[in-house]
Amino acid sequence: VAAIGAARERVPLARRLRSATPYLLLLPGGIWLIAFFFLPMATMFSVSLQEGSLARGFELTFNFGIYPEVIDRWSTQLVRSFQYALMATVAAIAIGYPLAYTIAFRGGRLKGILLLLVILPFFTSYLIRTISWKFILADQGFVLGTFKELGLLEPGFHVLATGAAVISGITYNLLPFAVLPIYVSLEKIDKRLIEAAGDLYASRLSTFLRVTLPLSLPGLFAATLLVFIPGFGDFINAEFLGARDTTMAGNVVQRLFLTNNDYPQAAAISFLMMGLILVGIILYTRLVGTEELTR
Amino acid sequence: MQQEDQLMPDGRRHGAIDQSLRQALHRGLTRRRFLRKAGQASFAAGAAVSLPSLLAACGVAPAATPQPTPPGGTPPAEGGNLNFANWPFYIDQDDAGASDTLRQFTAETNVQVNYQERIESNDGFFGTVAPALAAGQDTGWDLIVVTDWMVARLVGLGYLERIDVAADVPQFQANAADAYKDPWYDPGNQHSVPWQSGFTGIGYNIALTGREITSINDLWSDEFAGRVGMFSEMRDSMNFAMLRLGINPEQATVEDAQRAVQELLTQAPLVRAYYGNEYAEALANGDVAITMAWSGDVYQLQADNEDLRFVIPDEGANLWVDNMCIPRRARNPAAAKQMMDFVYGPEIAAQIAAYVQFISPVPAAREILAASDDEEEQELADSELIFPSDETLGKTVGYPNLDEEAERVWQELFQQVVQG
Repeated sequence: VAAIGAARERVPLARRLRSATPYLLLLPGGIWLIAFFFLPMATMFSVSLQEGSLARGFELTFNFGIYPEVIDRWSTQLVRSFQYALMATVAAIAIGYPLAYTIAFRGGRLKGILLLLVILPFFTSYLIRTISWKFILADQGFVLGTFKELGLLEPGFHVLATGAAVISGITYNLLPFAVLPIYVSLEKIDKRLIEAAGDLYASRLSTFLRVTLPLSLPGLFAATLLVFIPGFGDFINAEFLGARDTTMAGNVVQRLFLTNNDYPQAAAISFLMMGLILVGIILYTRLVGTEELTR
Repeated sequence: MQQEDQLMPDGRRHGAIDQSLRQALHRGLTRRRFLRKAGQASFAAGAAVSLPSLLAACGVAPAATPQPTPPGGTPPAEGGNLNFANWPFYIDQDDAGASDTLRQFTAETNVQVNYQERIESNDGFFGTVAPALAAGQDTGWDLIVVTDWMVARLVGLGYLERIDVAADVPQFQANAADAYKDPWYDPGNQHSVPWQSGFTGIGYNIALTGREITSINDLWSDEFAGRVGMFSEMRDSMNFAMLRLGINPEQATVEDAQRAVQELLTQAPLVRAYYGNEYAEALANGDVAITMAWSGDVYQLQADNEDLRFVIPDEGANLWVDNMCIPRRARNPAAAKQMMDFVYGPEIAAQIAAYVQFISPVPAAREILAASDDEEEQELADSELIFPSDETLGKTVGYPNLDEEAERVWQELFQQVVQG
């Protein structure tokens, strides 16, 4: 009787453990998120509501008025960040989609090497890659300087310190983030579907538009997010390739934090940008929802 | 960064790459050979960059790493480590990045020096150490080098250790020029002694300007539209605007600052960019024809481009003094004081001056350079930019002394100049 009782007790314990397994598996990720996402976010939100200075110290005064203040003061830079990130995303997809398509469908044995070439720039620091462009595109550098000497360009022509340079820089730096997800979604398309479309007398264009493109939408969706989000917060490209009138919100945060030591304003802009991105993503997901795409 | 370079088996190559990287990133206080190398290696730099140099480039605060004992050497009996943060290219270095001055210091004092070129701008460096200082924690540094006004700011915030110059830095008492004693930013040298000083004037490329430059007004001239460089550091640019307006920056009020900002805003459409340390590349690459510039830099850039000139404008120029000081709660203030004293030996001062080519605070260094066998060093003894005459010094102004509230107001005013 005692043995049966023990067995009875053991079974629910094992079952309980089994039902706890998913939670146990979530534990490391959960702790990670709390430590490195939730806590910093909470701290930043708290800092944004503080008032004070380095000399006096900062005190939490629940100064919610700072949010309308920073929106009013830095709207130009916030809107510019949005525009630049959007243009860089469009450009990265325009370049990245054909590239991913070619590698996926025409890459053949070279696929691996081509993909490696796409991510090869990542072996070098973001900063160094951006600064190299400063040397390459310098007004009297070997590219522009040569054209100017040949009389093909005006002596005053320059690429650096323009919005185009900043957008190109963001596009260039984030291009692999567009290519890779699109490649993955194109790669896993069942080729028989494309053949079937051909058998049903679809033209190549309508095959692409009605079979390939819709099936690659999850990749496109991921690509837009992976390019837009870092692009929106970027400050490196505007710092090195831009000028005063190409300042992005990231540059403002950097200067507020490191130079002005105005931590509340810097935190408020950061939090605001995160909020904007979050709302943007939710709307975007509703519009071209991922679930429907992958069904 | 320095130390990692030395530890690499092929230290020379990595050293060169790191140097060109720093060249690209930092205030270009370079010796001629580095500038040449920078050109050759600027693309190689893209290919192989060590993690430490990237961290340094990003300005990540250090977890004070003690310098490892050199192979074959004996560990120091006493003296410990000195964590020393300085600006790039601001001490004598050979191609591998090793410094005679630091080697001699270690031989004399048994203190191992962890020398890091970690300061790219006063504000930026302050931004990285301020949180630790405000929280009453150790910054990881025993000795730092910052500009006069930043010394005043750090003193005001109570962020620096006291020093007793008479007892701790006797060679400063004996050898420093009078102008460096009892300065406005640190009365009685109670917290700091100078490292080097220099001018902020105008650098220009005569092939692009087509004429000599003599005045600050030339920075506001339509003829150079889009090819004017200004500094993103508030005090330097504000000083120039105030010199143009005939205001003495040292006594400037908030109203003066507002007028200066208006002046800078009218100039903004002509300005190519507001540069930090990288203005030197913009000048060398021809991106700007005329720019605010630091004296030593242009002198060195001339080696590669004879069209480059440096001028102290008629209206005046900024004179800055960079100072060694000890952050609060430093772990080894004794070693920091030993270093302060050591660099005031005339031989050591001459060695550093010959390399960095800014103004040495030790006048005796001039005789040592003049008596040198090296022709280049003899020339340095006669340079007006390294050993300026009283007449030149009379044309210079210092920076406004701002308390924390004024600092914030001025920075906010100035931010619309650089960021719109």
